Amino acid sequence: MSNQLTTNRRTFLKLSGTAGGGLILGFNLYGCATLPSDPLFTALEINAFILINGDGTAIIRAKNPDIGQGVKTSLPMILAEELDLPWEKVIVEQAELDSRMGSQFAGGSTGVKTNYDNLRKAGAAVRDVLVRAAANQWNVPITEIKTEDGFVISGRKKLHYGHLAEAAAQLEVNENPPLKDPQDFKIIGKSKSDVDLQKIVTGQPLFGLDQEIDGMVYATVLKPDVFGAKLRSFDATEALKIEGIIDVFEIEGMDNPTRMVDGVAIVADKLWTAFKAKKLVKANWSNPRGYIASNRQLMADFKKGINAKGEVLREDGNVDSEFRSNNNQIEATYDVPFVSHSQMEPMNFIADVRENEIDLTGPTQTPGSAAGLANMITGIPRENIKVKFTRIGGGFGRRLGNDYASEAVFISHKLKRPVKLVWNRENDFLGDYYRPAGCYHFKAAMEGSKLTALDVNICTTSRYLYRGSSPAHGTEAFPDQQPAGMVPNFRIAYTPLLTNIPVGALRTPGMNATTFAYQCFMDELAQNAGKDPIDFQLEMIGEEDRDMPYSDHGGPSYNTTRLRGVINRVRQESGWDQPAKDGVSRGFAGQMVFGTYVACVVDVRNANGKIKVDQVHIAADCGRVINPIGAEAQIQGGVTDAISAALYESLELDRGKPKAQNFDQYQKLRMKDSPDVHVHLTDSNEQPQGLGEPSYPILFPALVNAVSRSIGKRVRELPLKKHGLV
Amino acid sequence: MPVYSINVNGKSRQVDVDADTPLLWVLRDTLDLVGTKFGCGIAQCGACTVHLNGNAVRSCSLPVSTIGDNEITTIEGLSENGDHPVQSAWREHDVPQCGYCQAGQMMNAAAFLSRNSNPSDEDIENAMHGNICRCATYNKIKAAVKTAATNM
Ligand code: FES
Ligand code: FES
Repeated sequence: MSNQLTTNRRTFLKLSGTAGGGLILGFNLYGCATLPSDPLFTALEINAFILINGDGTAIIRAKNPDIGQGVKTSLPMILAEELDLPWEKVIVEQAELDSRMGSQFAGGSTGVKTNYDNLRKAGAAVRDVLVRAAANQWNVPITEIKTEDGFVISGRKKLHYGHLAEAAAQLEVNENPPLKDPQDFKIIGKSKSDVDLQKIVTGQPLFGLDQEIDGMVYATVLKPDVFGAKLRSFDATEALKIEGIIDVFEIEGMDNPTRMVDGVAIVADKLWTAFKAKKLVKANWSNPRGYIASNRQLMADFKKGINAKGEVLREDGNVDSEFRSNNNQIEATYDVPFVSHSQMEPMNFIADVRENEIDLTGPTQTPGSAAGLANMITGIPRENIKVKFTRIGGGFGRRLGNDYASEAVFISHKLKRPVKLVWNRENDFLGDYYRPAGCYHFKAAMEGSKLTALDVNICTTSRYLYRGSSPAHGTEAFPDQQPAGMVPNFRIAYTPLLTNIPVGALRTPGMNATTFAYQCFMDELAQNAGKDPIDFQLEMIGEEDRDMPYSDHGGPSYNTTRLRGVINRVRQESGWDQPAKDGVSRGFAGQMVFGTYVACVVDVRNANGKIKVDQVHIAADCGRVINPIGAEAQIQGGVTDAISAALYESLELDRGKPKAQNFDQYQKLRMKDSPDVHVHLTDSNEQPQGLGEPSYPILFPALVNAVSRSIGKRVRELPLKKHGLV
Repeated sequence: MPVYSINVNGKSRQVDVDADTPLLWVLRDTLDLVGTKFGCGIAQCGACTVHLNGNAVRSCSLPVSTIGDNEITTIEGLSENGDHPVQSAWREHDVPQCGYCQAGQMMNAAAFLSRNSNPSDEDIENAMHGNICRCATYNKIKAAVKTAATNM
């Protein structure tokens, strides 16, 4: 086995500034005649993503925050695949905020899609330097070398990655290394359980709420119960009498309400003490002018909005002239409510603001922007701000904003000591950035079963307007959304509504509302024309293989063959063409969402006017699937999450205050009402797309179409609870 | 502040906290047993579920002063090596998504299965009704509870 020797040096090597600009840790490689049984060195960094250990295992850094979408597992799988290292030899570590890794965030189902090519390259680059190191050592051409199971092999020569790492680290990294033929994939496409699974089932500290740092104190906040209210004054006399209270002071909101809002900080030596003291703080708030006091008021504003002349976002043909000449017209208005994120782990963050340095630790989907806000609040330069991000107990878009991290920074800055900020659940409801509520009006003209004109008017509480970005319709209305491009006369107009109610991104922002409205209306049109809803949509999509231009997220185009593919698949798997079981009504919806094609059939039962969701079939084509077990889980989770929202969820206001501030009032789906979700994934070699979101929006119309059929009446407003249907 | 002596995962622990402090915060902030999670604080979500003499209870709503010498088990103490049938089943089905609710789910399932080792679907649904999974992993939780039942 002497050919396994890479070096006989017994010296301690310290390399720096080598491949990847990495810092090299303890490196102590002894010559040996057999594979080392003990790790002789650890964590030799070849590039920012991969560190090789002497025992042949590798540490792979997971670059993005994991909010439950599984990227802490799937992204390292891509690296390990091209590194050609068995998954059992991979140790996944959460990366910190590190500019070498490129953008690090969780949102828009982009984790796999935007990183796939780069991570393949990063993994292959490390394999490539290992191969070249072996070639140098053996003096054989690279073409005669292969890798397998963590070994570099040429003929009878065989070296362990760990043996070659030192030599490899000194080679220049190839920017465009050779990539594997996907047919040879051993990890991608094979189910791998979550890398944190063992830690989760044994209750190890993983989440933001589980972290602590030396010398920290606890803080919580008091918030107004009318959104956007400003703090006038407060009285903390009683609170300060409590043993263990350290301080109570004002948090001054920032100009942009997505960055930090007004509140009162309560700081104590124990969290429970802070929670208790909060109840004793008396605060005086001034409500924002023109605040939304009731759902009825909101509705009236929406009706004004959809009757206003909105900004025209797309116009094909001539809708008006078609309406003048065609009397077969159908109109409908759909409404969606504000929906809370209600992610399971309440907001929390740890900040340690020192003289000229900051350490941040916590659950955030956008660690870079947390650092940016810390800089804004303290003036401490970005390069002196470190961010560690933890596993996240649910994101759903809530932790794209870092208002709570801002609060932790503000409090630590003021107190000059490390602070762990924790909100309680009531804070979460009072401090959420809700899924925008909106109103969607459709007017269609039909010729037989053919849609000849469609006029869409949308008014929503724009989240871009709320956060001060443009255009206002961004993530609210999608001009190219199906059936745009399939109808000769088509127009879509948008009117934004700015209210005091904080709005933000929630699982498929905007798309989760428009998909409901569009796909329900298509069902109405089909019914009106006496057509099967699937046939109706298939005819509209057409037989041709077309790439439909699509200027939004998931574009620049979508393909009609792939769309038909998932529709036909779900049709077949759900038994759509066979008669439904007794008492069962079915609903359908199908569309491209954020680059992934989804089609869904929902079965419901109607028991004395109450709806029970029986089962769901969903077909999805997300291109190449990285981790099938994770993919299936995301789709099931998205569908079931949407059932919860469709059945129960809405923000109800009472004189401007949310009626529900905890789970006793804000109902979430529980196991009893959670149906079996059958997932049918397309086996595909196309470029991989995201899966954390696309199944969510498609459930709403499929479910509501089933419900409308079941009760014999169109439901055009969510949630179903409002109509006494659950 | 009074000192309480409580029995957690087979060990007697002294804690110096206010009488009204919920067991949840004693576990998390005083004893560094952070596997038990905070979700709602009002006994609605089940994230904080632990065992009190083998019964599933909501630690967020259990003041430390009421515990006396009852035995508390947390997820960290459910098994020595993480191999309680419930934990094994959770691994086998790769149940968690974000994972935050799962300690509560497992503690609830373990207590339930210790009394009913041959549950029907309906038994499982009723028993697990108090635990919210915001990521909606219910299909997998149900499958894992069934697997665990066969291995109890
Ligand atoms: S935290 Fe105890 S039940 Fe929710
Ligand atoms: S796994 Fe996220 S809340 Fe259950």
